[in-house]
Amino acid sequence: MAMVLSSKISRELVERIKEISGQNPNLCMQCGTCSAGCTGREFMDFLPRQVMRMIQLGNAKALNFKSIWICSTCLICTARCPRGIDIARLMEALRVINLRQGREVLVAEKIPLELLTQVPQMALTSGFRKLSA
Amino acid sequence: MRIPYFPGCTLHSKAKGLDYSTRGSLAALGIELTELPQWTCCGTVFPLAQDNYIGMVAAARILANAAKEEGGKLVTVCSFCYHVLKRVNYVIKNNLEARTKLNDYLEENYTGEIEPVHPLEICKEDVGFNVIRDKAARSLKGLKVACYYGCMLVRPASEMNFDDPENPTIMEELVSALGAEVVEYPNKTTCCGSYQVLHDNALVMQRVEDILNSATAKGAEAIITSCPLCQFNLDWLQEKILQENAGFQKIPVLYFTQLLGLALELPQESLGLDQHYVDPRPLLVGA
Repeated sequence: MAMVLSSKISRELVERIKEISGQNPNLCMQCGTCSAGCTGREFMDFLPRQVMRMIQLGNAKALNFKSIWICSTCLICTARCPRGIDIARLMEALRVINLRQGREVLVAEKIPLELLTQVPQMALTSGFRKLSA
Repeated sequence: MRIPYFPGCTLHSKAKGLDYSTRGSLAALGIELTELPQWTCCGTVFPLAQDNYIGMVAAARILANAAKEEGGKLVTVCSFCYHVLKRVNYVIKNNLEARTKLNDYLEENYTGEIEPVHPLEICKEDVGFNVIRDKAARSLKGLKVACYYGCMLVRPASEMNFDDPENPTIMEELVSALGAEVVEYPNKTTCCGSYQVLHDNALVMQRVEDILNSATAKGAEAIITSCPLCQFNLDWLQEKILQENAGFQKIPVLYFTQLLGLALELPQESLGLDQHYVDPRPLLVGA
């Protein structure tokens, strides 16, 4: 049964997320397999399962969750989802909506110098691509 | 046998040991890697937003350039490079819209004909573990090794088509061929926290401690990996973990090619063993 969202803003948000991710969030049945295996779960404010539910509801609060920036796109949720949802792509959609509005969490100037001089280059390129606008 | 080779940004700077030991050990096995005449950064991450074609351009250009070389294959060893090149190639092969857009942008006519391959696959399929067993002049007998795959090599299984996504064994097969002892432990495909080292160091530290402890609890004396970022996270943070937890047991984290190079008796100074935070030499020089 398709979920009918009452508010226009919610419907628009869900459509935007679907368009960017290419995924159907309504397939999620809230089993929690994604949350159980998640790399960053102990550092998240809301678990991947809960993020999925907020997306289904078209709740814009999901855009402000810390969790979407904690996701390291390791794809373990995607690999294990029994409904075949690429959850990492939905997390990316939430980040991308933020980033395209200029909101970011990784600011180059704030990276400690000690770290900056020691990390492999690939950490910088991947980190900035995922977490910076 | 000559195969075009894409080293990627990190292998020419922070992970020279991986570059040298990959080229050196494959050469000793009769495979010459010829670096692509021109290459750029691969972009490191595969864009997960459907509309982000620009995020695929760098990898697409590398693949299109590799198609101009002979051999039909492109070797790359860094897990991130391998992941992004393989997935972008998959997209170009299977998604006509993406292929058209990327080719228009690059002014190329590339259709996904290159096969991105990993040195582990070369060792298994082109050389053969039996041949490696015969050529490994220096036995690593008695050395207990835990293999760490991380995330990018094995997932998503449908596109990476690398090995079992939950329980890959190709690195273990190599370790056995080298005469060392394989240590089974539960965390070999969990993520080390990756680029979060820049954003949320506490997360990475917790992940690293978890992974290292699960390997040492099973008796591992060394960990091997193919990813320069996994190697860095697992290696660099050990000193900090020790400062917070006096009972923590340090363990060297190497590239699998360094172990391979040692077994093939490549000159030790060519393997970059001196570039690690936890020095593996006391363990390996006597191994």
